Amino acid sequence: MQSNAALEYDYSIAKLFTYTTILFGILGMIVGTLIASQLAFPELNYLLGEYGTFSRLRPVHTTVVIFGFTLSGVFATFYYVAQRVLKVSMAESKFLMVIGKIHFWLYFVGALLATISLLLGFTAGKEYAQYEWPIDIVIVIVWVLWGVSLFGIIGIRREKSLYISLWYYIACFLGVAMLYLFNNMEVPTALVSGYGNIMHSVSMYSGTNDALVQWWWGHNAVAFVFTVPIVAMIYYFLPKESGQAIYSYKLSLLSFWGLMFVYLWAGSHHLLYSPVPDWMQTMGSIFSIVLILPSWGSAINMLLTMKGEWNQLTENPLIKFMVLASTFYMLSTLEGPIQAIKSVNAIAHFTDWIPGHVHDGVLGWVVFMIMAAIFHMTPRMFKREIYSRKLLESQFWLQTVAVVLYFTSMWIAGITQGMMWRAVDEYGNLMYSFIDTVTVLHPYYAIRALSGVLYLVGFLMFAFNIYKTITASKRLEEEPQFKTPMA
Amino acid sequence: MFHWLEKNPFFFSVGVFIVIAFAGLIEILPNFAEASRPVQGLKPYTVLELAGKEVYKKDNCMSCHSQMIRPFKSETDRYGQYSLSGEYAYDRPFLWGSKRTGPDLHRVGNYRTTDWHETHMFEPTAVVPSSIMPAYKHHFTNIADIETAYAEAFTVKAVFNTPYDVEGGVKLGTWEEAQKMALAEAKLITADMKNKNVKDAVESGKIPEIVALIAYLNRLK
Amino acid sequence: MEIRELQAYANFFFTMFLVFLLYGYIVHLYRSEKKGERDYEKYADMALHDEISDAPVDVNPKTLDKKGKE
Repeated sequence: MQSNAALEYDYSIAKLFTYTTILFGILGMIVGTLIASQLAFPELNYLLGEYGTFSRLRPVHTTVVIFGFTLSGVFATFYYVAQRVLKVSMAESKFLMVIGKIHFWLYFVGALLATISLLLGFTAGKEYAQYEWPIDIVIVIVWVLWGVSLFGIIGIRREKSLYISLWYYIACFLGVAMLYLFNNMEVPTALVSGYGNIMHSVSMYSGTNDALVQWWWGHNAVAFVFTVPIVAMIYYFLPKESGQAIYSYKLSLLSFWGLMFVYLWAGSHHLLYSPVPDWMQTMGSIFSIVLILPSWGSAINMLLTMKGEWNQLTENPLIKFMVLASTFYMLSTLEGPIQAIKSVNAIAHFTDWIPGHVHDGVLGWVVFMIMAAIFHMTPRMFKREIYSRKLLESQFWLQTVAVVLYFTSMWIAGITQGMMWRAVDEYGNLMYSFIDTVTVLHPYYAIRALSGVLYLVGFLMFAFNIYKTITASKRLEEEPQFKTPMA
Repeated sequence: MFHWLEKNPFFFSVGVFIVIAFAGLIEILPNFAEASRPVQGLKPYTVLELAGKEVYKKDNCMSCHSQMIRPFKSETDRYGQYSLSGEYAYDRPFLWGSKRTGPDLHRVGNYRTTDWHETHMFEPTAVVPSSIMPAYKHHFTNIADIETAYAEAFTVKAVFNTPYDVEGGVKLGTWEEAQKMALAEAKLITADMKNKNVKDAVESGKIPEIVALIAYLNRLK
Repeated sequence: MEIRELQAYANFFFTMFLVFLLYGYIVHLYRSEKKGERDYEKYADMALHDEISDAPVDVNPKTLDKKGKE
């Protein structure tokens, strides 16, 4: 153990994960923009031969942004925030430093291999759980290592009470562990039979059961990767950046337990009107609506934290990022329950409104929050001020416009197509053949592709800004307390 | 009590776990036995069909095509009888999909032919002029992995008691037998196909992915 | 049928139990604050005082030995 005078927070692992956040962010968004463009301009399917079709790239996009970009961001902020709210430095424990390093490298190599395996077509076939079993095993090890880090640092803490952000990180850890394990129960065929490819398995569950387990996971992957740890971030970074205490800590605790209880039930709203039992569908619908309460509890708590300090919105662009993020969180947690109402779902399901909903959540809430967190952390980790405020401001507006274009075009596309599928003429015959309902979407697909390009450009501006901050920006004498300094 | 929980990370985690595991226990587990019953007369996939299902999975057809017809008139008019739970009893994993960028395929075998699929996979716009589906020309040259398909059938038979090798059902047999049967089945399909290279490949004992895929799609009824 | 019934009862009672717990929690939060036993809001600015030299809100007795701070 070092002497107290020299004791400082150790950000080496947080830095590593920050790099992968940016790397996977760029990668995932490039693929995303490409596949969005393919729907508008199908010729783009043939850029990479067999490996460049929409269908092969779509899981690459989803898994790179979920498990590459978002999880990197979660880990980066965790290794930053946990030390600070527990008032203990990673440098105080050699063991935790080693675990942290292994965690990072195994994660990074694993994520690259996983992406390549999907490109090659090795897939278990379930959405967001496509990885084949050898890669699943690597993921489990990575997750366990994170657990060791998480509970290890809690074990040596100076601060007895756990701050609300840590509650959410713990929930993220437990939730994903449980869901991932159950959903990826597979039997490797080569091991049982002695024939065939080693990268192949069959699901332990069949048909309807598989669907239930899958959407129990699929929906709650959204909960425990896109919501829970992002809430953890905003509970730390918004108060810290603004210098305001959380409006009501009690409300944050209540929202936490509410969210934990309600979220898991909502998964079956992905299976409305399917052959899963009716009561489960109804339960999924009802709980989805109840879910508005705890979600809005957190979001409103964040907005009220800014009470009386709204001038910061004009003075500090990072506050703008975070306030917009919680606003989009409110929007998408209202939109989700609306789509889970059975009669709405009858139109919305299978249409582009669903990706529209997902993307106002992820582009507006998840990515904005992670970028704000990185903007906040970088000057403190590297002791330099943000390279350019102007760049940051223009990035903000560019990406905001992109998100709005994305979800408005997909709302229109989704509802148009949903209505056309069910439209009948005066004799009760279907009015449109399927292809009619596809060609009509072309302008919206084109707008969506444009919004993808805008968003990607914004993200590249972000990456450039961070790069310049790390390498060429003005050095800071001491750590800024609240507002992040920028040139 | 509550305050104590907030300071004890271990018991706190146990608490969180109970609360989040509850939904799964109630919602998912008890329905298992019932939902895995097949409908009457449902047969497991042949090895060739499984190889085709593997192609379907590998190229992620389910990212744009559902296999789940909802009980609405507009859907039954368009795609046929709505889907029943027992029809999926041998689907591991399930392939319902969540997005219809293209139409539902759960009963595509009822209204599309081998010939149509062949033309469509090679160049979708040849049969649907404004289609945005990519062409899958590589299915005509890549060879289907019959061995892995056999491994899958073997595994589901051994582990999950999927009824292969039963009276009046689908025969699985040994690997050598399975190869012969798959090839015979493939020849029945290529009889309706035009592509010379594919026909030649099957004559020489290799089965291109397109043949397996069509076998699978024809079976979806 | 039996498992179904069991499932329904388990669901009902456990949900009631958790709802009860949640409301108990709300009551606890506000009552303990009113009585002056506990002040939850003191945690609200934990993020603001997170320098390694800042004093913890609640000191963890297990790490007391490690600390040489005021």
